Amino acid sequence: MRPTYLQGAGLASALGPDRTAAVHSLRTDVLPHMHRHVGFDWPVHTLWDGEMPVSEEAWLARARETVRAVARESGALDTARSGPLFVASSSRDIGAREQTLAWHGDTHAFSERVVQWLDWRGPVFSVFNACTSAVQALLSAQRCIGAGECEEALVLGLELPNRYTVAGLASMQLLAPGRAQPCGTARAGLVVGEAVAALHVGAAPARWRIDGGACVVGGSNPAGLESQSLSRALDLALARSGLDASDIGLVKMHAVGSGVNDALEAVLLAERLGSHASWITLKPSLGHTLGAAGAAEFALLAACQEAGVWPRLHYRPDPALAPRLGQVPTSAVKHLLLLFAGFGGGHAALVATDQEAR
Amino acid sequence: MDGLEAPWRVAAQSCAAPPTPLWREDLAKLLGARPRRLGTWAELGLYGACTCLQAAGLGVLPSQAMVCVASLSGSESATHATAEQCRDGLPLPFGFLQSQSSQLLAAFGQWLQWEGEGGFLAHRDPACAWRLAQREALQAQASGVLLGQVEESGVHLSTQWWWLVRG
Repeated sequence: MRPTYLQGAGLASALGPDRTAAVHSLRTDVLPHMHRHVGFDWPVHTLWDGEMPVSEEAWLARARETVRAVARESGALDTARSGPLFVASSSRDIGAREQTLAWHGDTHAFSERVVQWLDWRGPVFSVFNACTSAVQALLSAQRCIGAGECEEALVLGLELPNRYTVAGLASMQLLAPGRAQPCGTARAGLVVGEAVAALHVGAAPARWRIDGGACVVGGSNPAGLESQSLSRALDLALARSGLDASDIGLVKMHAVGSGVNDALEAVLLAERLGSHASWITLKPSLGHTLGAAGAAEFALLAACQEAGVWPRLHYRPDPALAPRLGQVPTSAVKHLLLLFAGFGGGHAALVATDQEAR
Repeated sequence: MDGLEAPWRVAAQSCAAPPTPLWREDLAKLLGARPRRLGTWAELGLYGACTCLQAAGLGVLPSQAMVCVASLSGSESATHATAEQCRDGLPLPFGFLQSQSSQLLAAFGQWLQWEGEGGFLAHRDPACAWRLAQREALQAQASGVLLGQVEESGVHLSTQWWWLVRG
């Protein structure tokens, strides 16, 4: 297997329309956009200013504009666009359809619409695996490139504005009434984050290497995290990366602000990684970007390390769980571990290496 | 099946397109109980997977097996129904979960004692999804691959499954 590298990334989120704006927001410590969609009590890290477009056509036009801009930022549109395109999402275009309840096409039709938006010429795959969608997509892209089946691929993580997701998560009593506090003493649930992220990956050597990962399903708790499954994903990711736990210098936690799940993850990390690695969370900045999280959080994490800028915590982490959460590294970290979990028992781990770090 | 690649071979398969009118009762017999809180799409997928594993002589899904579910319809009917409830301001905890296609994989964990690698993947040509899944399973050193295509389009139901082992 030949290595896979991040050729470029794009990110539009509550932190701004691109990665430069996101890093600027973190550097200046500007709190991200939060907004309550009409009729809801729960805040969302919003992607677009103002209210959601009222018509399906207007929503799709805004989505097309955002997706194109983010794909352009990743550099993927400057290529032949002939590699595989992976569209990862949990909500797809429901924001357009929920307004009229007009249902046309099938689930894959949205991915084919994205192909048209980008004038993409390669095959398109839909990866709709809840909150581990984008990691699964990235690992599929890595395998294709590693096996020499293609030179480049594009992974798009899309969680576009909609009311459906907020209503669904609210009905399960998973949402926080204010800002999310992953592993915080006052954590009270998650905050949805809207985002469009692009990871342009390929065989050409670049700063970030995608080493390996795994998506493990453990279904005994379809809406919660299981230590055993997350541990297995972690083991597989490390083994496929040829690394030991002691090699990991920084962990991007999955933690969303859940009472039980955050604790399970923190206990596992303490057991498996000891005390040498820094722990960070990006969800207070981005929100939980659900199916896009694998792409959005990797895009932001790489941008943070490249700029030497890290998000500050505006709350107190639970000292019994994650006393060092938010104590960011003072220099670039070589091996980074990213964890994700989602509905349907999905648990994912991804290891990436910054080749410019010592 | 279209898209079969070496070293995999089809050890068992099942096809219910459409399933028998009593497929839900058959599923309950296979599982020993009725699954709760699953939507039609996920129940249909679970039914097809169970019949395929039964044909393979397997009572549970081995943890070293990889699962790939391909579908063009996905759980869209549940999404549509739940979106209507959402518009009408009704509570929707079960409907929302049922609209997540990943719930089928969770059902495999619950009912087939499986914990392993897998996911939901769609392509207009299912053979393209199958090829990708088989190559990923090979790289992951999976002992077998369970591939399923599950479609729920209005009243038209189908569930097709293949259990692949190394040839």
